[in-house]
Amino acid sequence: MARLELEQLDCWYGKTHAVDCINLVVEDGELCVLLGPSGCGKTSTLRMIAGFVQPAGGEIYLDGQPISHLYPGDRNIAMVFQSYALYPHKTVREHFVFPLIPAKIPGPEIEERVKEMADFLDMHDLLDRYPSELSAGQQQRVAIGRALIRRPRLFLLDEPLNNLDEHLRVEMRANLRRMQQDLKITTVYVTHDQVEAQALGDKIVVMDMGHIRQIGSPQEVYLYPNDLFVAGFIGTPPMNFIPCRLERMESQVVLHNSHFSLPLRGNLVARTASLPDGQELILGVRPEHLRVRSQPAEGTMPVEIYVLEPQSNELILDLKLGDLLIKARNDKREFDFRPEVGQQVWVEFLQDYVHLFDKGTEQRLA
Amino acid sequence: MKILKRILGIGLALFVAALFLFPLLWVVLASFKTKLELLAVPPVFIFKPTLQNYINAFRSDFPMQVRNSLIIAASSTVISIILGSLTAYGFSRYSIKSSDFLQFWILSLRMLPAIAVVVPFYLVFRALKLLDTHIALILVYCLTNISFAVWVMKGFFDEIPLELEEAAMLDGYSPPQVFLRVALPLARAGLATTTIFCLIQSLNEFLLAVSLTTRVAETAPVGLSKVQTLMGVDWGLLSAASVIFMIPIIIFTIIVRNELVRGMSFGRMK
Repeated sequence: MARLELEQLDCWYGKTHAVDCINLVVEDGELCVLLGPSGCGKTSTLRMIAGFVQPAGGEIYLDGQPISHLYPGDRNIAMVFQSYALYPHKTVREHFVFPLIPAKIPGPEIEERVKEMADFLDMHDLLDRYPSELSAGQQQRVAIGRALIRRPRLFLLDEPLNNLDEHLRVEMRANLRRMQQDLKITTVYVTHDQVEAQALGDKIVVMDMGHIRQIGSPQEVYLYPNDLFVAGFIGTPPMNFIPCRLERMESQVVLHNSHFSLPLRGNLVARTASLPDGQELILGVRPEHLRVRSQPAEGTMPVEIYVLEPQSNELILDLKLGDLLIKARNDKREFDFRPEVGQQVWVEFLQDYVHLFDKGTEQRLA
Repeated sequence: MKILKRILGIGLALFVAALFLFPLLWVVLASFKTKLELLAVPPVFIFKPTLQNYINAFRSDFPMQVRNSLIIAASSTVISIILGSLTAYGFSRYSIKSSDFLQFWILSLRMLPAIAVVVPFYLVFRALKLLDTHIALILVYCLTNISFAVWVMKGFFDEIPLELEEAAMLDGYSPPQVFLRVALPLARAGLATTTIFCLIQSLNEFLLAVSLTTRVAETAPVGLSKVQTLMGVDWGLLSAASVIFMIPIIIFTIIVRNELVRGMSFGRMK
């Protein structure tokens, strides 16, 4: 069990700056998810922690000790690879024994640990099978077992659920979370799937183009995204972005663009108090924070239903607001009418959940 | 329709196999025939077999020549496999400066026609006092075998996912251990293929063997060629000797046949 600290970690692949001087602390027993699109540097970061890639600068500390000069095998770190990296010529039992040999574990204890791991993963009947004789889910359990049997200080997972079908993925996701919490093992988990990140992480690190955009709990990155990138990356369907301008008229503060004007209410007025008149903004609002109504009411705006995407319990509506398309996601039970394509409806912005971003810096202002 | 297709396919396969195996059958039959039966027209297929040809072969220099051939072929194959797979692994796993050029250079050694180097080799080995020794032929065969081994083995190592080796590294295995315990076992099919081809190449080679040996280190192909005497060719003896000479390769091929099939189809590993 250990505390991991990355300090000014830097990585170049030729002329590509894969990871740009990042700082990160993962506390003992914490599950930290590195989240980002492909090429954002999350896997490079993981590979530097494992020791497969030498950082161009910076240091990695495990329990306060610098480890970036150590051979991967001397770091006491275990990893589950995206492809699971199982040896086709070894049985499950041999996979479990293999990491214990260099660790010079005595024979009887090896037996014991294999048995223990087989219990833990419920794999007793499969110990003498080869990877090709296992299902994808079983293969993944072998990969996890092989990694954990050494009792490493740090556990790394590189998109471990990618090769599973949707159903199994949700199941294994819960198993992984349970396992990690039972073992209280410090874990770094790489994924591009924000749903997975939300479900698993104690802490989410959103990365893009080699930079860390935001570090926070799943709730924090969802409710208070630092910038446009994080706001757009977290949540499905993604947040709606509407370019607009702040205007102060008499007692009112209004967000304006050519197709709509939104008088601000409640605490949003206070949140925008420091912004100058005429500031160019991007309004961000999540689809679940829009309410669609059949009748106009105070603070609503007329829109046209462009596409209907029914889900099991929800309805996703693509709404035409001038030349903009925005999405709304509402519980089906909330509708007091039957929405139809082409219909004129009114949309209300739940202003407590509206974000304002600076158009130039893309940082969140309010 | 399906059955017809299958019968046709099997028929064709049998025909092709027969076509290729017929000369082999001919040699095996000939090795059991007397001189008279051998030259009979039309050829006889049913006769009383004699072992006289084999007895003659064993009484000649031939057993010694086979021994020489086996020693030379086995040594050069073992050396080539060891050096070749190490080199191939290096090319496959590490970024080496002007790697492409070096690989082509190694391959180009195999394009060298033997006839072009016979005389220089002769002079070199004469100077080193290595003419008519096993070492001379072992070294010369290593030249072509290593370059072959490097190319074949590199293909096999390239196919092994890097993650398999990284997993072993994280588990505490040093790079040499990773090579021996992960990479080599996974390239088994490549090892089998390379071994067979190196053995065949070294056992069959004639030109360099005939030029660099005279008696002590004479190999079987050279010996066989000398069966042609002024008195004519003793076909029976020649056939018996050929059959004996085929046996080691056949045995080895049968042992590694599974790996070999995978190797030839370039080991699709899953």
